[in-house]
Amino acid sequence: MHGISWQSVDHTLDACIKCNICTTYCPVAAVTDLFPGPKYAGPQAQRFRENGQPISPDHAVDYCSGCRVCNEVCPTGVRIAEMNARARAQIAETEGIPLRNRLLGRNELLGMAGSFAPRLANFGLHNPVSRVLAEKVMGIAREAPLPRWSVDGTFGDWMHATRRARLKSDKKVVYFHGCATMYYEPFVGQAAVAVLEHNGYEVIVPPQNCCGLPMLSNGEFTAAEAYHRRNTARLSGYARAGIPIVGTSTSCTLTLKEEAPELLDLHDDAVETLRMGVWDLFEWLRELNDQGELRTDFRPIELTVPYHAPCQQRAHRVGKPALELLSLIPGIDVRESHAACCGIAGTYGYKTEKYRIAMDVGAELFDFVHAQSPHIAFSACDSETCRWQMEHGTGIPSRHPVEFLAAAYGLYDLERRTPVSPAEPTMQTYCEDRD
Amino acid sequence: MLDLLVIGAGLAGLSAALTAAEAGLSVRVIAKGMGALHWSAGTVDVLGYLPQTDAPAERPLAQMSELEPAHPYALCGAENVRAALAWFQSIVAEQGLPYVAADDEANTWLPSPAGAKRPAYLVPAAQTAGTLDRRDPMLIVGLQGMRDFYPALIAENLGKQGISARAAFVPLDKFTSRRDANTIHLAQAFDQPQRRRRFGEALARLVRPGERIGLPAILGLDDHAAVLSDLQAVAGAPIFEIPTLPPSVPGTRLYRALRSRLRHYSVRIEAGMEVIGFSGGGKRIRWVETETSARPLRHHAGAYLLATGGILGGGFSSDAAGRFWEVVFDLPLSAPPDRSQWFRGDFLDPRGQPIFQAGVEVDDGYRPVDADGQPVYDNLWAAGGLLAHADPLRERSLEGLSIAAGRGAALALIRSAARLPAQT
Repeated sequence: MHGISWQSVDHTLDACIKCNICTTYCPVAAVTDLFPGPKYAGPQAQRFRENGQPISPDHAVDYCSGCRVCNEVCPTGVRIAEMNARARAQIAETEGIPLRNRLLGRNELLGMAGSFAPRLANFGLHNPVSRVLAEKVMGIAREAPLPRWSVDGTFGDWMHATRRARLKSDKKVVYFHGCATMYYEPFVGQAAVAVLEHNGYEVIVPPQNCCGLPMLSNGEFTAAEAYHRRNTARLSGYARAGIPIVGTSTSCTLTLKEEAPELLDLHDDAVETLRMGVWDLFEWLRELNDQGELRTDFRPIELTVPYHAPCQQRAHRVGKPALELLSLIPGIDVRESHAACCGIAGTYGYKTEKYRIAMDVGAELFDFVHAQSPHIAFSACDSETCRWQMEHGTGIPSRHPVEFLAAAYGLYDLERRTPVSPAEPTMQTYCEDRD
Repeated sequence: MLDLLVIGAGLAGLSAALTAAEAGLSVRVIAKGMGALHWSAGTVDVLGYLPQTDAPAERPLAQMSELEPAHPYALCGAENVRAALAWFQSIVAEQGLPYVAADDEANTWLPSPAGAKRPAYLVPAAQTAGTLDRRDPMLIVGLQGMRDFYPALIAENLGKQGISARAAFVPLDKFTSRRDANTIHLAQAFDQPQRRRRFGEALARLVRPGERIGLPAILGLDDHAAVLSDLQAVAGAPIFEIPTLPPSVPGTRLYRALRSRLRHYSVRIEAGMEVIGFSGGGKRIRWVETETSARPLRHHAGAYLLATGGILGGGFSSDAAGRFWEVVFDLPLSAPPDRSQWFRGDFLDPRGQPIFQAGVEVDDGYRPVDADGQPVYDNLWAAGGLLAHADPLRERSLEGLSIAAGRGAALALIRSAARLPAQT
C-alpha cells in the first residue's frame, strides 16, 4: 500500500479562511446536490482525516471531479484538489478499488491491448450491446464519449515508419505523446512533429509510459508511483542535458511537472529535474515566439474557432498560450470560452453515476460553442478527453490547437487529420461556408 | 507587449483595468485568487464613519473635507470621487445591476446580517427597500436549516432601533435536498422559476398587509432582476435582501458585472497567478514573475498597477519578529517600526489601531513613493485597500476608495503615458 502523504496539504490547510470562494466557483457543486463543494469535502473534512484517523468522514469527496478550479480561485493558496485526491486514495486504501476504476486507471494497457486489433476492439467496445453490458456490469455509462483506437497504426508505428524522413538537427526536443496520442489520436502527434520540425527542431520520442494521472484520479497511488518512477528514469536524462520535453496532452504534462511529485511526495533530484524540464507544448511554443524564433509563415485559416482552455491546462498557471498563438494565424477568429469545465475530468464523466453530472457541468461550454456561429466547423481544446466530451456534447468536431498550427503551416489537413506535404497543391483554404 | 498589467482582481483592480481598457490600453489582470468582492456586502460604502471621532458621516462626499490631508480621499478629491461613483453606476446599470444613491448624497442606513445599522452610499436595487430611514414594519424571513442567517436575532435588534419587525421561517427543503447548502447554491436554486414561485407563495401566506419582507441575499445569481420582481409579484409585498456571511451573493454579482464589462474589451482576468518575483532596476519595473506548475512565468508590460488590497485582501504580510511588508514589490510601508506600536491598549479604541492604517504611500499621481516622497518606480501605480492613512473597514470606505483610487490611478497613468514617449 502506498503511504499517503499529507505533507503539502498540511502546509496549506492552515491558510484556509473558510471564505467559500472555492465552493462559489466549483462547477460540480453548482449542478448536483451530491457534492457539497470543495470547502466541505476538502479543508473542512480534512481535520478528520489526519493523525491516523481510520476512515474518511465523508464519501462525497468521490464526487469531486478533480478539475482544480478550486485551487485556481482560492485567494489564500490552499491546495484543495490535492487534498481531495489524497482523500480518495485513502478511501481506496481502506475500502479497495472497484474493478471499473482499476480499468479506467489503466488506459495505457487498454490502448496497447486494443491496438493489436483496433477494428475488432472498436467493434467490441462501440456496439450498443457491449455498451449496455459495460454499463450494467461495470458502471461505465453507455453514452459516455469513449475513444476509438486508431486503425492506421499507433503513433509509435508512424514514427518508426517515417524515421528516415524525420528531421535531424542540432536543436532537439523530446516529445511526450501520452497514451491518447499513442493509441487513439496519432495524428495529434503527427501535427506536433510537423510543427516542431518546421521550426527546425529534431523530435526525439524516447520510450515512455502513461503519466499515471488516471490512477492518481482513481486513488491508485502505488501503481501511479511505479509509472512515475519509470518515466523519471527514462526522461530525466534529457532534461538534465537541457533538452526540453514537450507534450500535447496538457494533463500528462501537468502530472509530470506537479501532480505526481506532489501527490506521491517524490522530490528526489531526478524527479525534480524532470519536473522542471517539462513544458506544455504551447507554453514552450509561446516562449519560442517571445524570443522571435517561432516561424510565422502561416497560411490563412478563415474559420471561427471556439477555444476552450481545459481545467488541466489552466492548472499549469501559465495563462492561455494556445489562445495567443492561434490568434497569430491570419483569418482565424478564435473565441475564448469562459466555461469552467467541460465536465469529463479525465475518467469522471465515463462513470454511470457521474455521467449526467458531467454533461450538466459541460452545458455552459456546449452552449458557448453553439452560440459562436451557425457554421462552426471545429472547436479547439488542448486535452483529449475534453475534446471527446465537447464533440459528444455539441456534435461538432474538436481539434487540438497544434492541428490548427500545423494546418496553417500547410503541413496538415485539418479535415482529414493527416499530415500533408507542403509541396502538395491540394491545401485548401479553410472557410466556414465550405459545404 | 501589454500596456498595463493590473495585479489584484478586487474592486480597485477591476475599476483600474476597466478605466484603462476604455481608454484603449491593452490590459490584463492577474491575481493569486479571486478578489475580496466575493466577501463584500455588495454595497458601495464611501465613508460611514469619520476616522478621528468614529462619528457617523451623514454626507460622505461633503464631509471628505473633514478628513486628514494625508487620507487617500484628500488625494482623490471629492469631485473626482463623485465622478468615479457616477461612472461606476453607469457601468453596473448597463450590466443589469443598478445601484442607487440617496437623492441628497446622504448615506443610507441598512440592516446588517445581525440586524444592526450599517451605513452605505450606493445601494444595490435589491437592498433599497430595507432602508432604516423608513418606519414601515418588516417581516424577516429565513430558511430553516440555512446556516448563519437568524431572522429572530435580526428582528429583535431592529426592534431595539424602533423598527417594528417580526421573524419567520420557510423550510429549506422547499428548494434543495442539500443538507449543507451555501448562499451561492441557494441563489442558483432561485434562478429556477418553479422553485422561486414556490417560495413566493410561501411568503404570500406569511406576510401581513403593509409589511416589507427582508430575506437573506440569495435572490438569484444569473437571473437576479427577474427573481426579485417575480418574488415581489407573487408575495405581493416589497422585498429586500440582507447581506449574509461569505460567500456573498451581492458581492459575487458585482464581480460578475465588472468581469462581463472587462470581457467586452477582451481584458483577461487570470486567477491562480501569485507574483513571486520582479525585475526593477533603473526605477522601472521590467517584468514580474508568477508561480506556475514548474518554472516561473514572466509578464512584461509598459505599466504596472498594484491593487492587492490590505491585510485582509492579502497585499501585506507580517511575521512574529515584527516585519510587515508589501508582498509583491516590497514597497516602503507607513507601519509603525516597532511591533509594540501596532495596536493600542484598547481593542475597540475609537481611534482605531495604527497597523490597520498602515499602507503604501503614493504621490498625487498614485505612484508609490519612498521616504523622500520620490516615486519608487516610474511605471508603477497603486490603488485600493493598500493605500496608507485610511482604515477602510472601520471607516466603511473600502469600496468608495477602491473605485475612486482605482479609476484615479488608471487616469493618472494614462495621462503620464500620453506625456511620455512610447516605451519599447
